[in-house]
Amino acid sequence: MFIKYLFTIVYLIIFSSIISGQTKISGLVTDQKKQPLPGANVYLKDTYDGVSSNSDGTFSFTTDETREGILVISFVSYKTHSQPVTLDGKDKYFEIVLEEETSELDAVVISAGSFEASDEKKSIILRPLDIVTTGADADIYSALGTLPGTQQVGESEGLFVRGGSASETKTVVDEMVVQNPFYSSVPDIPSRGRFSPMLFKGTFFSTGGYSAQYGQALSSVLVLNTEDLAPRTQTAINLMAVGFGGSHVQRWENSSLAIEAGYYNLEPYFAIQKQRIDWKKAPESFEGSANFRQKIFNNGMLKAFTSYSSGGLSLNIQNLDNISQKDFYHQKSSNFFFNTNYRDILWDDWTLFTGYSYSIDKVNNDINSDKAKQDDIFQTGKITITKNLFSNSFIKFGAEIQNLHATSSYNEYAGKLYETYIAGYIESDIFITNDIAARVGIRSEYSKALDKSNIAPRVSLAYRLGKYDQLNFAYGQFYQTPSQDFLIQSKDFGFEQATHYIFNYQYIGSNRTFRIEAYYKNYDDLAKGTVYTYPYFNLPEVPFSNNGSGYAKGIDVFWRDDETFRYVDYWISYSYLDTKRDYKNYPALAAPPFSTPHTMSIVAKRWFQDITSYIGLTYTFATGRPYFNPNNPDFLGDRAKNFNNLSFNITHVTSVFNNFTVIFFSIDNILGINNVYGYNYSSDGKIRAPVLSPALRTAFLGMFISLGETNPY
Amino acid sequence: MKILIIVLFSLMFLTGNYDDNKYETAMKQNLEKIGECKTANDYINVANNFERIALAENDKWLPYYYDSFLYVLANFADSSRTQKDIYLDKAVESVNMADSLEPDNSEIYTLKGMISQARMQIDPMNRWQKYGAETNNSFKKAIEIDSLNPRPEYLIGVGVFYTPQQFGGGPANAKPILESSQKKYEKFVPANALMPNWGKEQVEHYLNRINQQK
Repeated sequence: MFIKYLFTIVYLIIFSSIISGQTKISGLVTDQKKQPLPGANVYLKDTYDGVSSNSDGTFSFTTDETREGILVISFVSYKTHSQPVTLDGKDKYFEIVLEEETSELDAVVISAGSFEASDEKKSIILRPLDIVTTGADADIYSALGTLPGTQQVGESEGLFVRGGSASETKTVVDEMVVQNPFYSSVPDIPSRGRFSPMLFKGTFFSTGGYSAQYGQALSSVLVLNTEDLAPRTQTAINLMAVGFGGSHVQRWENSSLAIEAGYYNLEPYFAIQKQRIDWKKAPESFEGSANFRQKIFNNGMLKAFTSYSSGGLSLNIQNLDNISQKDFYHQKSSNFFFNTNYRDILWDDWTLFTGYSYSIDKVNNDINSDKAKQDDIFQTGKITITKNLFSNSFIKFGAEIQNLHATSSYNEYAGKLYETYIAGYIESDIFITNDIAARVGIRSEYSKALDKSNIAPRVSLAYRLGKYDQLNFAYGQFYQTPSQDFLIQSKDFGFEQATHYIFNYQYIGSNRTFRIEAYYKNYDDLAKGTVYTYPYFNLPEVPFSNNGSGYAKGIDVFWRDDETFRYVDYWISYSYLDTKRDYKNYPALAAPPFSTPHTMSIVAKRWFQDITSYIGLTYTFATGRPYFNPNNPDFLGDRAKNFNNLSFNITHVTSVFNNFTVIFFSIDNILGINNVYGYNYSSDGKIRAPVLSPALRTAFLGMFISLGETNPY
Repeated sequence: MKILIIVLFSLMFLTGNYDDNKYETAMKQNLEKIGECKTANDYINVANNFERIALAENDKWLPYYYDSFLYVLANFADSSRTQKDIYLDKAVESVNMADSLEPDNSEIYTLKGMISQARMQIDPMNRWQKYGAETNNSFKKAIEIDSLNPRPEYLIGVGVFYTPQQFGGGPANAKPILESSQKKYEKFVPANALMPNWGKEQVEHYLNRINQQK
């Protein structure tokens, strides 16, 4: 009897203690779009009690804790949510909505009118390796030529973007403008870019609407960011059909120094590969560079880069006015370039960038007994301060100064130009939500040579539609001083102007990218005047003024896919361009010779594991470009035939005597098509000669050996 | 009377304050669950359990270690590139917490190497330059601290196994490294039942594959 009572009492004690000590907590976890979040961690702070949410977002668990507790819900890449909960034994139900974390990797990216190649960001269109494995000559500018927005101009170096001439694109290295990014020009023969693509960790190519940090480019900027500390000590030898070179990189704990030098001579190569050009002295050049990096305390980086190159060449050019005569063209050139910059985090939210660059470029061009000389001494300094604001937003303040001392002479005539250019800018990137971002900036410039100033507003908007797609818009005013050719003759000019309107839709999935972009560029105040009569003979002399104008409009399409075909990575780009301009000594508004309505490129590459090689094919098509025909009253009314080029390249990775080696071979114009870029006419307009590529096909072979390294891991 | 004492005694256990054993029991339960995981979500569910233990205990590095380890396994189980990087970001956060609680620990450096090796594997062509040196340094340090730890050599061996032969990789070059690791596994005795003790089956699996390929 007593025992029965005892059991009842004990039973009641146990039962009631269990009941009053247990609270059931359940609910549902979703994101802001009401989509369930499975695998979220739902728990009571400072206890083990909790559970992961199910695949439908629901959760349910019980806890023995009593009094007040804090319920925490966390999920990777979302902001952790916590709220108080009373643990009184009554069932609790919560519907939790988690807010996305605005992390850099995940936020919408401002990208109207631009292509970025970097290994740091998530949504990139190009990868750094693409620059080296695309096209036939491992030149940055050639690789960019396969992107939409660029025009194929085979006889000249430079980027011709959306109806703009090459001078409308500026190359910027570590935030500072480079005065001579190409080797010296030779008529109708394109020069290479000076910088090896291996120097850069990031490439940002804007086809319009670029940031207020840059100016003096009516069409576009190419922003190249150099590598930070070299990863390891390494010595390498470079052997090519056209020359040889070596480099040594020394890495210490917090600094690195890289030295390289190379000698190039195309004579042996020309002996094998028939050239259409009558070379007297094949191009020969020497170049060397040194690259120093120093990490300062935790976050600072000091960089210094210097390079020197010099070279010469000579050739015979057919004289069209006198068929039996050949003009002797001789060039000697040298270039010294120095760039230093320092970047650091000052206090919690403040970042500083400051840099200085100095270059001297000298070129002598002689035709028969006429001597032409051009010397450019260029200096630039820049400072930018960035302040972080809320959630990834920031504001930048900056100033830049450029000083150019250019002298040019032709026989006994000499001219010089001293120009000092000062600019200041304020720009802010604001992430209104994780899906909407705006970049608003204003730039103000002053040119001492023109004695004029301007104010250029810039706006860019990005709106994310879904996980992978975005709408982008950009508007901007862009100013540029007229070219040196004009300013040496007269300073009575104003800034040339372009207004950009760009709108695009882009989809960047993990393995597929699609972008379609429409743009309208309005050109105003373009410099007009007759500086050279060549190649436009018999045209009326035009007085100097800023009365030029023009427009460019079109649509660019880009598609990249590295998933559909196994191991194959390919992209297709197509540009439609409609442009006319009236500038220089044009007698009327006309489509310029560096533009054409349709351009298309297909680039494909595949990695073959058995032969450890990357094999790539690049095909480019463009409709014929306008050329000047003195016999045609319709100025620039003639069109050359369509352009077709299929090139092949192979990058083979192997080891030679246990040293890591890369062998690169490429050949362009496999189909052997006689592409005609235009025509040169005699002064009386009766005889013409086609402008062709320097050789029917150009092959390139090179071997890069990294000494003492068998395994790049 | 005896019954009363027994009943009262058992009551004590029912209302239970197991603080000393609570940690160990929870850790052991979750360690057993790791082997049953298949999908990325499975790994994350167990990782969440470890995260709760880590936050509640506050000063223990092991639950942070396992939280990080499971996110690395989740990254292997998921095929989306962006998701992999997101999981590895979380793995880095947790291993850094473990490191701050227990600096200079061989298992933690091994796990750091495993994470940067996994980063590389997502896009080897473009990432080996950035993460290659970091991976090597982490494994090197792990071996320096404890040369009896079999796990760094196992991971180095797997890396070499998947590296193309022309770069000094391939099964033949991986074999001696994996065999050395296997010998260490045979001798290895964990300090207690909660310490990392994984990889023995995996190294045997790779050696079998290599021996069969002949």
